Amino acid sequence: MNDDLNKMFNMTDEELFAPVDHSELESEKITAPRYSYWRSVFRVFFHHRINIVILVLFLFIIVFAYVYPSIIHYDSEVDPFINLMNPESKHLSPAKAMDMFGHNLHWILGAGSSGESTFDSIWYGSRISISLAFICAAINMTVGVFIGAIWGFSKKVDVIMTEVYNIVGNVPLILIISVMAMLFSPSFWTMVFAMTIIGWLGIAYFIRTQVIIIRDREYNLASRCLGTSTVKIALKNILPFMTSVIVTMLATELPSYISYEVFLAYIGMGMSDRSLGRLIYAAEPAMVTPGWQMEFWSPVAIASIITIVLYVVGQNLGDASDPRTHM
Amino acid sequence: MGKYIFKRLLHGLFSVVCVVLIVMVLIYSLLDRNKIFAGDPNYNHTVSNNRVTYEQSRFEAFGYLDYVPYADYINSLVKSGELTDDHRVSVAKIGNTPENDSELAAEYIKKFTDYYESMGYTVTRLNADLKRNGQIRDGGQPVLFATRDIPLYMRAITYFTKMFQFDNIHYVPDDVDIGERKLTFTLYDPVRNPTGTEKVFSPAIMGNGTKHKYLLYFDSRFPFIHQNFLTLNLGESYTVNRGVDVFTTMTETQGSYILSTMTFPTGNVLDRADDLHTATYVPNSLTTDINRQRFVDDYTNVLTFKDGMSKIGYSFVIGIFSVIMAYVLGLPIGLLMARFKEGVLDKVGTVYIMFIIAVPSLAYIFLFKAIGGSVFHLPTLFNMDSDDKLMYILPIVSLALPSIANLMKWMRRYMIDQMNSDYVKFARSGGLSEMEIFTKHIWKNALIPIVHGVPASVIFAMTGAIITERIYSVPGAGNLLTQAINKYDNGVIVGVTLFYAVLSVVSIILGDVFMSMVDPRISFSDKAR
Repeated sequence: MNDDLNKMFNMTDEELFAPVDHSELESEKITAPRYSYWRSVFRVFFHHRINIVILVLFLFIIVFAYVYPSIIHYDSEVDPFINLMNPESKHLSPAKAMDMFGHNLHWILGAGSSGESTFDSIWYGSRISISLAFICAAINMTVGVFIGAIWGFSKKVDVIMTEVYNIVGNVPLILIISVMAMLFSPSFWTMVFAMTIIGWLGIAYFIRTQVIIIRDREYNLASRCLGTSTVKIALKNILPFMTSVIVTMLATELPSYISYEVFLAYIGMGMSDRSLGRLIYAAEPAMVTPGWQMEFWSPVAIASIITIVLYVVGQNLGDASDPRTHM
Repeated sequence: MGKYIFKRLLHGLFSVVCVVLIVMVLIYSLLDRNKIFAGDPNYNHTVSNNRVTYEQSRFEAFGYLDYVPYADYINSLVKSGELTDDHRVSVAKIGNTPENDSELAAEYIKKFTDYYESMGYTVTRLNADLKRNGQIRDGGQPVLFATRDIPLYMRAITYFTKMFQFDNIHYVPDDVDIGERKLTFTLYDPVRNPTGTEKVFSPAIMGNGTKHKYLLYFDSRFPFIHQNFLTLNLGESYTVNRGVDVFTTMTETQGSYILSTMTFPTGNVLDRADDLHTATYVPNSLTTDINRQRFVDDYTNVLTFKDGMSKIGYSFVIGIFSVIMAYVLGLPIGLLMARFKEGVLDKVGTVYIMFIIAVPSLAYIFLFKAIGGSVFHLPTLFNMDSDDKLMYILPIVSLALPSIANLMKWMRRYMIDQMNSDYVKFARSGGLSEMEIFTKHIWKNALIPIVHGVPASVIFAMTGAIITERIYSVPGAGNLLTQAINKYDNGVIVGVTLFYAVLSVVSIILGDVFMSMVDPRISFSDKAR
């Protein structure tokens, strides 16, 4: 083989190979590429082209829900009722609405039951619904994960909390929410309160089960034998293990709040703000009238798109945050 | 095993009691009780002192407090003989202000006040509401009454002790002359032998002095033998279905009356829908003409035959078919998705599961209703009087869709988990075909956690689904709770919650039992643990 090389480059062995100094310092360095967890997560996440498409859609929704109403100076008190006095402006199909009010973005989905622009009110409603979902998810996930971790770790807490879970789980959620709504005014923050007052319990229970599964694994036992404190075990050994579980759960939680808000509004227990659920509830009579279906289906479609986008982003982020996919 | 289940049942009972207590605190203590007047047309018609007494009497009817007007107290004194009828009017007359009371009235008012205040009541006296000219305003008569909020523990104790009612011959108050109080056994049920000459064999136990006239009887309706010795009393409805127990509200038939020619105890033959077997005692009810035409005693309150099913009946029929559909479709599809992982079916199935989880249920049920109505021309609204079986299809399918997705998801998950386990690798290395591995090994193991949910899905089929029933206007049990909440019907709220809680406890225990039957490795007996 050496002969081949020598012939190929026309050089002698001495010219081709030179001894290298042994360096203590260099031998300590790790030559493998640096592994950063979150960078790997996003590398895997963006590796799938579909995720980029979905993320763009997500940004689009966020922009329309949070920026668009501000740009057009949407006022939820004024705008829905701006054409209330004009009977000819109510329940218009997109084509008729554009003929009447001019060809612009506002009337692309027609006009609603009080002559308002369906397009504008949908985005304002989306803002309320998305905010509700994110705030509820933030509170429930934080409280749920924290309490769930303690619940899973301590056997004494487990006995009490399991009992609480069994009891409170049997109280119908609709009842609690409607009592809250009647107790205070049915406003946005009441809804947040009602959805979070026992909403964390289910998440905590789920986390508890996950913690119990991992708690007694060999590596944690070894860690404990080596004298690692419980807090450090929780933070360094178990929490990283749970990241993908938590993100995956967030993916189902976020859309579920929007769906639940829609459900509550539909049965007449929603909040008074003009959220997506409230729009659907208000437009339900229009659904059975030929030519008016647009006002009903638009908020339903937007709600579905938002929930699907949130779900897919969350699921794929959850998949990507599982270190086993980082290979 | 038996001991373990008994322990679980006791534990469940404890949870149920706690749930009822929590619900009672929620609705009786936390809620503003004045909300009940929001939809009350009579409330705005009452003014001045009348409004106050009206409020109190409504609060009593809704179960918030005990309310004793002064007049009731006087009447009870008259009844017990402490006061003669002659004095009644002068004693009962309250002055416009305390100073205007007659001497006799003042004495009894003091008695009333002392008596009820010693029992923890609050005694309220409102002076007459006078016009400028000194006349009493409409509804401004002076009033005197005692009220006491019912404390939580009392409410709970009364609720649970009244829940099971055993009928006995002392149900009718002792001072009512009802003839000889007794239970009689007959081989020839009078309802089926109205004239006494037919000799239709039908044993029955009848009571006199009991609440129900017929305590045990046979008839042609499922389950053919009926008893009234023990009745379940979950809580009386006030606004949803006035004066009727929650359990009866859920189980009584609905729809239009089935008239038939029947002979009444009086011998009169009329076209009516009465179910004479359900006669219950109503004090002094034989005074109206319509009752005197039909009955010979005070057992005049009867249920009626209607052609529809009960609320639970409709919910259960729709629910059980959708459960069957979900298991029949969901499990095989989930299995095939796992078997051909990453294949076309798996991908389509995953998209479907994602759709069902992410999209609000309202949206896809409406979507489905629109498709079913316009493309398949199926009836989209439920009609109790119609015999059309097609109207069941859309509610059943709508209810099954999410369950199918759920079962697909979990079946696939459990199958894939099993596929990676060691025993499967061992079986494969032993030369078993994939088909054999799936049908003989993986399928059985993956099914164990699924089996745990079967009792719950069957039992909860009868509670109905809120959105589906609302969208298709099914007269089922699903809307009962929301209806009760909207109408502030506290009795129904407590009753329905209790019902749900009991079902949930029972279904979890049954699920565990089922699981231990399917999987011999799971054992609940103490020894094996």
